Amino acid sequence: MFAHIFNYRLKCLLRDKITIFWTIAFPLILAIFFKLAFSNIGNQEVFKVIDIAVVENSQYQEDQNFRLALDEVSKGDSRLFNITVATAEEAKKLLDENLIKGYIIVDNQIKLVVKESGLSQNIIKSFIDNYLQTVSAASTIIQNDPSNQQEILKSLADRKNYIKEVTGTGAKPNSILNYFYSLIAMACFYGGFFGMRETTDIQANISTLAARINVAPVHKLKTFLYSLCAALLIHSVEMLALLGFMHYVLKIEFGYRAGFVVLTTIIGSIAGVLMGALISATVKKSEGLKVAAVLTISMLGSFLAGMMFQDMKYIIAQNVPILSYINPINLLTDALYSLYYYDNLSRYFLNMVFLSVFTILATFGTYLILRRRKYASL
Amino acid sequence: MPVYKLCMKITKKNIPHLLIYIIVFLIVSSIMAVTAQKSHKEQETFSRVKTNIAFINEEESPLIEGLKDELGKAANFVELPDETETLQDALFFRRIVYILRIPEGFTQRFINGDYMPLEKTTIPDSYSSAYIDLAINKYLNTARLYIQQMGGITQEELVSYLKENLSKETNVEIPYSEPEADLNYSNYFFNYLAYSLLSILILGMSALMISYNDRDLKRRVGCSPLSDTAANLQFILANLTFAMVSWLIMVVFCLIIDAKNSLTLNTFYFIISSFIFAFCGSGMGFFIGSVAKGNETISAITNVVVLGSCFLSGVFVPVEFLGSTALKIASFTPSYWYVKANNRIAQLTHFDAAYIKPVLSDMAIVFCFGIAFFALSLVIRKNRRYS
Repeated sequence: MFAHIFNYRLKCLLRDKITIFWTIAFPLILAIFFKLAFSNIGNQEVFKVIDIAVVENSQYQEDQNFRLALDEVSKGDSRLFNITVATAEEAKKLLDENLIKGYIIVDNQIKLVVKESGLSQNIIKSFIDNYLQTVSAASTIIQNDPSNQQEILKSLADRKNYIKEVTGTGAKPNSILNYFYSLIAMACFYGGFFGMRETTDIQANISTLAARINVAPVHKLKTFLYSLCAALLIHSVEMLALLGFMHYVLKIEFGYRAGFVVLTTIIGSIAGVLMGALISATVKKSEGLKVAAVLTISMLGSFLAGMMFQDMKYIIAQNVPILSYINPINLLTDALYSLYYYDNLSRYFLNMVFLSVFTILATFGTYLILRRRKYASL
Repeated sequence: MPVYKLCMKITKKNIPHLLIYIIVFLIVSSIMAVTAQKSHKEQETFSRVKTNIAFINEEESPLIEGLKDELGKAANFVELPDETETLQDALFFRRIVYILRIPEGFTQRFINGDYMPLEKTTIPDSYSSAYIDLAINKYLNTARLYIQQMGGITQEELVSYLKENLSKETNVEIPYSEPEADLNYSNYFFNYLAYSLLSILILGMSALMISYNDRDLKRRVGCSPLSDTAANLQFILANLTFAMVSWLIMVVFCLIIDAKNSLTLNTFYFIISSFIFAFCGSGMGFFIGSVAKGNETISAITNVVVLGSCFLSGVFVPVEFLGSTALKIASFTPSYWYVKANNRIAQLTHFDAAYIKPVLSDMAIVFCFGIAFFALSLVIRKNRRYS
């Protein structure tokens, strides 16, 4: 019996193109979009050279050190600035037309003129600050001992980085990963479409197929369980394919505990399918409304887990911590992230316990709603 | 206008369904606009918000005290016990964004000229932590200069010199009164409109078209004494009405939320730009409705098209962070030009022709996209008329 129902259900589900689209093609397409959109974050390329101008006047010509310093940072591929030397009026005009971010006037003091405050403006300011402070330090030293100017210049050029990043764990923190992890979580919960189909096709008052199945002399829960197995198999395979695609094609890192990652994805897939079943059993209206409910809940959950906007996750964790523990999509995302980031597995297990409790509740709830339903007339 | 009336009737039936989407989108875009605006502010003002950091020193010395004082300009120190779990959690929940650890023996080795780095643990890619890095490196590099050049300098002397040197700051002048209105909110909200408005337009209009394209209904309209042109025009008119109503709801919502900044010329241009985008969006809806068969296909196409174009054209991820490949692909979508126009509008302080022109040309491109979509769909509909 099991083989019969399972086989036919498998065929049936595989031919449902729309569900297959939502559960595998859509996450794959989104993953590619994510990769395209985020591939630059964290790269050096993010930084775009800043256009600035310097006002041409006698003080600027005389201030050889400053000219050298500016030259230094406006040469080569990794340069900071593109510098235009201009008269005061020209510089002002360039700024007006948004062609430069700001201009520098060397007067008694060095002055920066900008249009608004912003990141580029801050970088220009930091650069000049740094220059002024170094000059000030150098002149203090020269006042004390005028003999070693050359050496000062030499040791000025040799700047050291005094900070070492220590993660405390083996993994490098990477905020982009959260987007991909929440995408996997979303895809798992899109498995809800399969769960939805399973309940729809067992409730005789919803679909004609279910009416046919209900008159068959097989225990209803057995039919339901067997066909649910087919749905779970298809969806788990899909999720593993997604995982493989992300890891091998898009080169997303998952840390070194591959076994746990696969296990988490499969549990996530089960949770997703059962959540769909529960929603579908609860919402007793048309199929359109069920689809809308599955979509809205999983989209909202992904949004709160930071799929569209990563900081959302932290905003929730800080302000409404309870929400991050009852949002299954966040639990799954966080579980994957803990696997990647923490050496210690306690956080991972905490997430998985909550997720399992959620899954068990969903199963139990679906069971309560579906059991012993009889139809006097249809 | 029977066709127009029919369309309105169909749309009215869909109202509850669409309303759910409108409300969800409005809430989500407002939340996103508010949070994005907040983080934008933190990164960009000269008077930077102080960052919360944990400063853990395994030894005490005047040099380290001096460093701590210097960092105090840019950071608040949060007292935390030195336990890995607590520190990691604090970092995770963003109570602090930076942990700086001064290893034991640092001062001595530093003064001897040996290299020994400080240890930091941070949240990745945060601007505030980059500033802390900068400050620490500046302090220690300058200190090294003194130690190398003035042998025998005491730590106290060193710290007082450094304090004096590092207090130098650039004069910054902002000759233009910064725009009184804070346009960030509107900028983000109108950018997100590319997502929410487009989704609603495509969903609503394609639902309308699916019902209208029903074979029997089409045949009935076909044998009525109404020319094809008239029927098509009425149909387009109905679609535009729907688009304008949705657009109006969203724009009014934004104006109410951000009332104090609404009466600027910038907002006026935002509204025009979004109006043109709404036109273009209805063209897209019309097109997708003409191509797709069945409701499910429509929501599949909608999600891929809308999410895809929004991700690539800077609606969710700021344009500055996008790679050139992504932007090249995005330039084939109207959202890219719409977002570009909006970002320009947000920067406008002068409203002379020279400054407005690039904005207008972006809008014109969006408009042309709209025309192209309508034209294409009319061709498709004509070809399919008798099939």
